[in-house]
Amino acid sequence: MATPLIGLKIRERRKEIGLTQTELAGRIGISVSYLNLIEHNKRSIGGRLLHQVADELAVGPEVLDGATERRLAGDLNEVVADPLFDRNRLDPQAIDGLVGRYPAWAQALVTLHRAFLDRSKAMHALADRLNHDPFLGDAIHRILTNISAIRSISEILTSVDDLDAERQRRFHTILSEESARLSSAAQGLSTFFDKAHTATRSTTPAEEVDDFILENHNYFPALEVAAADLLRRLDAPPRQLEERMLERLELDHRLNISRAGPEDERLRSARNPLRYSQHSRRLILLDSAPAATRRFAIARLLARLTFGAEIEAIIAESATLTTPAACERAAIALQSYCAGAVLMPYDRFLEDASRARYDIDLLRRAHGASVEQVCHRLVTLRRPAAEGIPFAFMRSDPAGFVTKRFPLPNLPLPRYGGACPLWAVYQAFQAPDTVVRQLAEFPSGDRFLFVARAVVKGDNAYGQPRQLLSIMLACDALYADQVVYGDRLDLSASAPADRVGATCRLCARNDCPQRQEDVIIQPQSLEET
Amino acid sequence: MRVMIVEDEPNIVESLSFVFSREGWQVVAALDGDTAIGHLLDEPPDVLVLDVMLPPHSGFEVLKRVRSEPSLRHLPVLVLTARGQEKDRHTALRLGADAFVTKPFSNRDIVQQVRELAVGKEGTDGAQTGC
Repeated sequence: MATPLIGLKIRERRKEIGLTQTELAGRIGISVSYLNLIEHNKRSIGGRLLHQVADELAVGPEVLDGATERRLAGDLNEVVADPLFDRNRLDPQAIDGLVGRYPAWAQALVTLHRAFLDRSKAMHALADRLNHDPFLGDAIHRILTNISAIRSISEILTSVDDLDAERQRRFHTILSEESARLSSAAQGLSTFFDKAHTATRSTTPAEEVDDFILENHNYFPALEVAAADLLRRLDAPPRQLEERMLERLELDHRLNISRAGPEDERLRSARNPLRYSQHSRRLILLDSAPAATRRFAIARLLARLTFGAEIEAIIAESATLTTPAACERAAIALQSYCAGAVLMPYDRFLEDASRARYDIDLLRRAHGASVEQVCHRLVTLRRPAAEGIPFAFMRSDPAGFVTKRFPLPNLPLPRYGGACPLWAVYQAFQAPDTVVRQLAEFPSGDRFLFVARAVVKGDNAYGQPRQLLSIMLACDALYADQVVYGDRLDLSASAPADRVGATCRLCARNDCPQRQEDVIIQPQSLEET
Repeated sequence: MRVMIVEDEPNIVESLSFVFSREGWQVVAALDGDTAIGHLLDEPPDVLVLDVMLPPHSGFEVLKRVRSEPSLRHLPVLVLTARGQEKDRHTALRLGADAFVTKPFSNRDIVQQVRELAVGKEGTDGAQTGC
């Protein structure tokens, strides 16, 4: 949102709970005149002071700093950019007003738009399956073949009068066989459509989990406490952590652990370096999987079996997670969160990050983690009064599909489809496993440091296709001097920077040679001078 | 007249064999493409009734092979396709099929189609003989 409402919100909330300016200023240790300037938006407020004010006013800092509204405005910007509204000429200037005055209506519009996209995806997925699914083609052919036999035999039975008894019996047998096959094929078809319907509904739960994580700022204090407690109980130096975790799985959870041979290795999925059967309590470890991936998977399984109650409680409290499928996905996300917290304990990781100036490779080596695991953990360093640099996180596949995202308030990341093709996250695909940094300037004048790297996921056997993903961290250029990737970059406001946008439809750079679609929003505040 | 049925569904083969026999035609059947090719080369029929979904090679591959054999180039081929599978029709036509019957078919229709193809073949054979 263009206008910061933080001062107004502080004043409204202060009055609401019956505090005077003098009382509040006294409690937080600032002068009344300074508080007055803050309340009239003439002085900015953030960091510890904002947390102090929020504590005194008994609200979360996100309520005061308008993060919720900014996120809603960002979502509405995406709604407005939908080609569906091309003819409506929606005024993007009205978004702030709508969010400020009618937040429930704004949220309803976003919800409606998501529902529309969900249905569209479902429809396209079903159409695609109907046209191309090999099972469906086979099933229809099978049914038509059964019907052909039934029809042909029936015609013979009704039109041929001189059939001998044996031939009649034989044809009746065929009728019976083909009827049974027809029933079976029809049932298979019915099951297929049930599954197709379920599969296409999964888009909404994914979005619910996305929102759930954003609302919690990707920081879950209860899980940090639980992970720290588990780490104390494991009482292992980092090199022996994997061994100790396996011991706990074996002793506390009575798992029968074995190692997989090469014939299993060939079949392994890059996403799953271990196979666990809850029913038989067997755990098969795929030994040749990348060490970081294997350690993380072991930690995630331990978290799943150890922190079930904590995770369930967090999910139960959420109003955003409405479906069983969303709750299930959220539980998996939180298990991964716990794994990150166990392998990269908050305080030590924050200290290391700060000392290493957020050098991902140094952190990766120090904590035995992968690039993605380190980047993910950096984004979770949001503990009040012990925060790391605020980072946005984005993961894209080579087709531009965003598979993970965590935006910053003033850096919206696309929820649907690709972002600006000039972003480092896409450039990184040109040279996998190489760090690509970029000082990016948006039409609004906001500058960010982008740090991206394309990595090969898993460790595939010969002949298996490689899964390449690009991972990007982004921080406000104001913090660039605190991270190693800002070194030797001219970070002054007048220094040259890559001129990028959010997505083509939201970007006012009409002269951009990379433009794929016309801009739909031309707000005056975004126009170039 | 001699008709060959190439169809992997034994019950359809049995019903069509009965229907064709009632017309007084001699029937040869094959349940897969490889067997069919062998029979076709040994003793070509007057009309071939060919299903498109065959193991291990599709009916299209059998059709392609038939059209590549000089002795079978003019063999009338009636292709059985599933209703609505337009792309199968286009492929079969491109590969040289002479007629189509869609599943589920009626016995009367398929007999009629085979008869017409046989008559056409006689005409062609006559013309060729006359040349």
